[in-house]
Amino acid sequence: MDTTIIDFLRLVLLSMVPFVLAGQGTMLGGRTGVFNVAQEGMMLVGASVGFLVSFYSGSIFLGVIVAMLSGALFGLALAYFTTSLKMNQFVIGLALFFIGLGVSTLLPKLILGITLTPPLIPTLKSIPIPLLSQIPFIGPILFKQNILVYVSILVSIGLWYFLFRTQKGLELRSVGEYPMTADSLGINTTKMRYWSTIIGGMLIGLAGAYLPMVYAGTFTEGMTMGRGWLAIALTFFGGWSPLPILYGSLFFSAIEVLAFRVQVIGSFLPYQILQMFPYVATILVMILTFKRARVPGFLGNNYDREKRSL
Amino acid sequence: MEDKTILELKNVRKVFGQIVALDSVSFALKRGEIHGLLGGNGAGKTTLMNILYGLYRKDEGEILLRGQAVNIQGPRDAINQGIGMVHQHFLQISNFTVLENIILGTDVKNKYTMKMDEEVIKVKELCQRFGLNVDLNDVMSTLTVGARQKVEILKALYRGVDILILDEPTTNLTPQEVDALFESLRVMVNDGLSIVFITHKLREVLSVCDRITVLREGKNITTLDRKDASEEVFVRAMVGEKMDIENSIYFATEERQAFDQTSVEAPKLKLENVNLISQDAVQRLKDLNLEVFGGEIVGIAGVAGNGQRELAEVVTGVVPVSSGKKIYLGDDVTSKTNEDLLSSGFSYIPEDRLSDGFLPKATVAQNLILGQHRIKPYSDGRFINWKTVYAETTKNIKEYNIKTNGPGDVGGNLSGGNIQRVLIARAFSMDSQVMVAHNPTRGLDIPSMDFVYQKMLSRREAQMATLLISEDLDELIRISDRIAVIFRGQILGVLKRSEFDKYAIGRLMSGITSENQPSEEKTLP
Repeated sequence: MDTTIIDFLRLVLLSMVPFVLAGQGTMLGGRTGVFNVAQEGMMLVGASVGFLVSFYSGSIFLGVIVAMLSGALFGLALAYFTTSLKMNQFVIGLALFFIGLGVSTLLPKLILGITLTPPLIPTLKSIPIPLLSQIPFIGPILFKQNILVYVSILVSIGLWYFLFRTQKGLELRSVGEYPMTADSLGINTTKMRYWSTIIGGMLIGLAGAYLPMVYAGTFTEGMTMGRGWLAIALTFFGGWSPLPILYGSLFFSAIEVLAFRVQVIGSFLPYQILQMFPYVATILVMILTFKRARVPGFLGNNYDREKRSL
Repeated sequence: MEDKTILELKNVRKVFGQIVALDSVSFALKRGEIHGLLGGNGAGKTTLMNILYGLYRKDEGEILLRGQAVNIQGPRDAINQGIGMVHQHFLQISNFTVLENIILGTDVKNKYTMKMDEEVIKVKELCQRFGLNVDLNDVMSTLTVGARQKVEILKALYRGVDILILDEPTTNLTPQEVDALFESLRVMVNDGLSIVFITHKLREVLSVCDRITVLREGKNITTLDRKDASEEVFVRAMVGEKMDIENSIYFATEERQAFDQTSVEAPKLKLENVNLISQDAVQRLKDLNLEVFGGEIVGIAGVAGNGQRELAEVVTGVVPVSSGKKIYLGDDVTSKTNEDLLSSGFSYIPEDRLSDGFLPKATVAQNLILGQHRIKPYSDGRFINWKTVYAETTKNIKEYNIKTNGPGDVGGNLSGGNIQRVLIARAFSMDSQVMVAHNPTRGLDIPSMDFVYQKMLSRREAQMATLLISEDLDELIRISDRIAVIFRGQILGVLKRSEFDKYAIGRLMSGITSENQPSEEKTLP
């Protein structure tokens, strides 16, 4: 019994990584007002590119780097079209999603061709942390994980510290709340929006690369299975704050693992119902915390200094 | 006072699309003076200062600062050059604390921990020196307008500016807060600062400024020393040659006969114990009682956000009351919708013209008949009679001086002031028994404001009832027969015209009634 719980929780932590990284990436862009809705496509590209580079170079590390760069490129495109050209964020986001979706399937077909046996890359090994992993119960859950689990937790804490304990973080948040104020105080809103969206894109790309590197060892079409869309729900669920997003990821991941188990062992509940849970939970949480729910004030809008309000 | 020019703007020109906002305007500021920049709405005062502050790019002209030409690309340059600006619509982050708002954009000593002990000492020192008291740990959204303005001034002082621009700083302040602000400004200029004071209120510049520059329609009209000029000179400069000042209401000095309530028996409109609880369970209106008689103008005074909008929407039926009764000409109309009310003798000028009063994609004619398009003469009940509509609206466009290409022009092409004229034309062109006008003169220049006042007074002559909700206390005192002061959704007091006193109204606006008023006399020697 004990080992089942440990196994379950270990798996929850392992599966939370794409949620954490994509959620934090979305949050970071949103904190300057850029509302990214292309996560699903960006994660697919990250997964596809990360897998291909790892496969041909034999280096998972290189795969990770290139996946992050591809995410950064999408982030840059989003920032350019919305911040410099002031085009509608949702339209651009959806366009980028479809581009990502297409590119992610096209690349393996062009490069690998059609193969009967799927090419495989070695999956990420778990790295037990000396001493800490020996702690009963907590040890195997928390400290016997692959490196990206640790990274995703550190990224969350790091982002929290950056946003709420540094001067640049304060300035970045001000851009997402009311860019006119930030601008009037000499803060470069354009630069802030670009960087937050690009770095956010990197995190989202990394979230995608995690999938072939940990789960399957290969890339399959549409392998994100809606995790990108869930990341949007997750950022709302977590009130656009790094730490609540980390906790929310645990919850979303737990439901995912549960749904998977149910699918395997069978249950009175169809697993599709369980798959709906994260979305239902998001709506419920948003209703319950409606009054306190914090969304960056300028989320989804573009700022134009000389545009006169009527 | 040193007679030395610290700042000079020369022949500045700015065009927005087709509109010339500034046409070769020059302006000079001396060290250690409070310089009033006076003009009606649309005169270009704010545009000029936004150019100086780097928010707008000038098309032509030059800026000389301390004798040297400077190129200001953005607010950062302006701040570095020692120029600070307090905007009319505060540029603040409402969910940040006061301290965070003040230090935002400056270099903090501990930028990787944000331990701001030194900054706190510096800000507190400024608070004390200039008499601007605020609690640095308060979250912005919990503060009153007066306190938020102090933060805005502190922001500029904290950056060590020596030129401070204040854009309509007295909007929404109670008279007491205005006095305190003027005192702080005096301390600042004695400390060596130079201040530009933008306003459309003549009395304010006369009481606080050393020199005054008047702008009108994007042109520099005159610059005069306060002591060298009379009020009349400024009035004429502000409004131009065309306006008839002697017969205006805006500048009227004679006392006008107040409405005599004994002459009519029943009010046209009566609110009885009206309560309104909003969706997020906040009480917006509380046990509100109000009567508006035919032949009177009842003013509602209060700091913005104390329930004025809710009151307007309850009266016009946009929002149903939570409890209480609404009586119109003796009938209970509590449950009537705004469609019913508009067709049975109500008219409404909403506060937010863009979201509540105007359709930018519809034509001017369509906008002018909105709300009355179901009734005669515009409609026979089924079809709209466009011939009548065009004939009537063409008349309205002329009478209300709406600058447009004609009734078929798209509404979105109009400027803000002209949109306001459409709303006014629509409300006044129907003979409504009860009018609710919420900030009806916002965005209008003085002659247009005066025109609205004339219209309101003719309603009064015709024994109609008018409820005027305004942020401009001077406007209310100018035209109302009675003023009711609203505070947190409650009417704290109603004053008759003979009892009008700015300071008494100001006390009520900040929630001080005679019962809870601290006895000020005791502290005086």
